[in-house]
Amino acid sequence: MALDTLNDWLRHTLNPLYRTAIGEFMRSSRWAWPIFESLHFLGMSLVIGTIGTFDLRLLGFARAVPVRALHRLIPLGIAGFLLNISTGICFICAFPDQYLFNAAFRWKVVFIVIAGLNVLFFYTRVFRRLEAESENVAPRLAARIVGGVSLGAWVGVMSAGRLITFFRP
Amino acid sequence: MWLETSSFSTWLREDPSIMVFPFVLILHTVGLAFLVGANVAIDTRVLGLARGVPLLSLRRYYLTMWAGFWVNAFSGVLLLIAYPTKALTNPLFYIKLFLIGGALYLARIIRGRMMAGTVAAGVRAPRHLRVLAAASLVVWAVSIFAGRFLAYTCSRLTWESSC
Repeated sequence: MALDTLNDWLRHTLNPLYRTAIGEFMRSSRWAWPIFESLHFLGMSLVIGTIGTFDLRLLGFARAVPVRALHRLIPLGIAGFLLNISTGICFICAFPDQYLFNAAFRWKVVFIVIAGLNVLFFYTRVFRRLEAESENVAPRLAARIVGGVSLGAWVGVMSAGRLITFFRP
Repeated sequence: MWLETSSFSTWLREDPSIMVFPFVLILHTVGLAFLVGANVAIDTRVLGLARGVPLLSLRRYYLTMWAGFWVNAFSGVLLLIAYPTKALTNPLFYIKLFLIGGALYLARIIRGRMMAGTVAAGVRAPRHLRVLAAASLVVWAVSIFAGRFLAYTCSRLTWESSC
């Protein structure tokens, strides 16, 4: 089965990840872990503050805000996301088995993939038509769906992430 | 300590269901994201990102900010009831509360300036407002650090056990 192949492959990555310099650093440093965790929460706030703010607007909240101008916040959200990918990789390298075989972590990855596919759909199908629309009008159904899926996926990412510590394998 | 030995505190702390203690943690995390997130949007607009957005049009996001705040006040009280000794014996806990108070005070001032409605689309916010927004972002960031470090600086987990 595909999942077995994946698990098999992941098992082979455990030791190399564990032995990386960054993994060693995360385990031995007294303050690296809480500092990186705080940065992870900071990145999360940037993602929700920009992408979440945009999603709410797509849903029809704060209609006085011009969509196209608000979209300029998104690069900051991408920066927050990249910060969290980086800090996240550091956590995984420190204790790879605690994450790669953790049900909550796998759900978190699923939610990130959903958010990613939603972004793809948004930019290929919705964004250009949205740009032509003026403010203060009710958003089209497609925009509402994209906003709702995105917001739901990010709340899923945060919830699953918070549960990782309770699903240690 | 009477609070810690109460049945409600014990239930919050010891119930094995993920619908109890982990769920309170999820509320506290998602609430944080919306509380700080709303401030990120407003403060970065003040600082000049997304300058095409009229500042006043963002006022609705104070609703999501306060929703996040009340979710966190509620979940925070539950966390405090679950582990009162852990929080109350850690000086950082009081620093965190003080920082949040300061950040809310800054948000209040910024909201007052926003309501004047002078920062229209394309308009650069005045310098004093930009300083307030930068201070707001810094204080929220430090609050997040303070909150996260609570878990690593506690001396007593409960009245009877150390961290």
